Amino acid sequence: MKDKIKEFIAETTFTDVNSFNDDTMIFDEGIFDSMGLLGLINFLESEFGIVTDDTELQEENFGSVERIADFVGRKMSLAS
Amino acid sequence: MKEKFSRDIIKLKDIDKTINDICSKLKQDVHQVLKRRGGVIGVSGGIDSSVTLALATKAFGSENLLGVMLPEKDSSPDSKEFAQKLTSKFGVKVIEENISGALDGFKCYQRRDEAVKRVIPEFNPLTDKMKIVIPEELIRKNLPPVFHVTVIFADGSQKSERLPMNEYLQIVAASNFKQRSRMSMLYYHAEALHYAVIGTPNKHEVEQGFFVKYGDGGADVMPIGNLFKTQVYEIARYLGVPQEIIDRTPTTDTYSAEQTQEEFFYQMPFEDMDLLWYGWENGYTASEVAPAMNLSEEAVIKIFKNFERKKKTTDYLRRPPIHDYPC
Repeated sequence: MKDKIKEFIAETTFTDVNSFNDDTMIFDEGIFDSMGLLGLINFLESEFGIVTDDTELQEENFGSVERIADFVGRKMSLAS
Repeated sequence: MKEKFSRDIIKLKDIDKTINDICSKLKQDVHQVLKRRGGVIGVSGGIDSSVTLALATKAFGSENLLGVMLPEKDSSPDSKEFAQKLTSKFGVKVIEENISGALDGFKCYQRRDEAVKRVIPEFNPLTDKMKIVIPEELIRKNLPPVFHVTVIFADGSQKSERLPMNEYLQIVAASNFKQRSRMSMLYYHAEALHYAVIGTPNKHEVEQGFFVKYGDGGADVMPIGNLFKTQVYEIARYLGVPQEIIDRTPTTDTYSAEQTQEEFFYQMPFEDMDLLWYGWENGYTASEVAPAMNLSEEAVIKIFKNFERKKKTTDYLRRPPIHDYPC
């Protein structure tokens, strides 16, 4: 899952996939902006069937690849 | 040595000197650098364009200025009244150019409303009003803002939905016709009079990217581009800008429903933002800034990070065309 998320981020931001790690703070580092976040929400929905509520839009859930993967994992296990 | 951080730190120490320095640079830039004989200013009835006009009057004399009101279908009727009061107070000639026809030609409203209807199908642009906001619960989450569209129906009820990317982009792109049409009209008058276009963005708008590239960001000079909003207000009071304009809540005057600049973009009151931005820009630490702001150090760090991100992600807007290509 992490690889898929990393690939998505790299592709949509024209960034080398090796230039950031799982724990890189993607928004703090300026890799992702508002548009990136909106695109990511769409991507998580289409790729993993995850619907993100506004209240879940927090750094704890979206700050890094690791956090996004954890968030998706939690949502998926809740759904099942 | 750095001055101790306090809530008074950005108060203009010598307001006369600041005003004279701005006016003499403005005169120098327009006459000597740009070789233009006066200035055209888009007057919206807001505080920034009012102070810009007041300063330009001091620099060039009212006879060398033209104020242009540029209303369109969604403009607040108050804007015109305030703009007229302002220009009459400073003795500047003002004309009105309604840009609604040009915007219809660009299909500005149609393109915007189509995108709104895809998110809120019940929206009827003929009877309902709309605006874009950052919901309160999303503020200060240390993530970039995610925008919602709010429709205010004719019966007063409201509906708000998060905007998917394509709809958000279409609404912003369509709405930006407004600022770009205004810029075109200002340049028409400036060229016809051999004047310069005097832009009205303040420091936050320039540095946080709260302007439309080649729209309100399209001007020859921006005399208040280095002033914090609270400093703009200080100058407004000093130069005698009408009180109604000073008392007015700053709005974007862009969407059919009234939208404050705070709910659309800045996410905090100007008084706080000015100080926090100053602290961040001048290398004050969170521990130096937090006590004066009545905030925790952690909150200040988050806000500083947010400023840094905003500046980085809006670089595109401030960048001129890249032309250093190989030949």
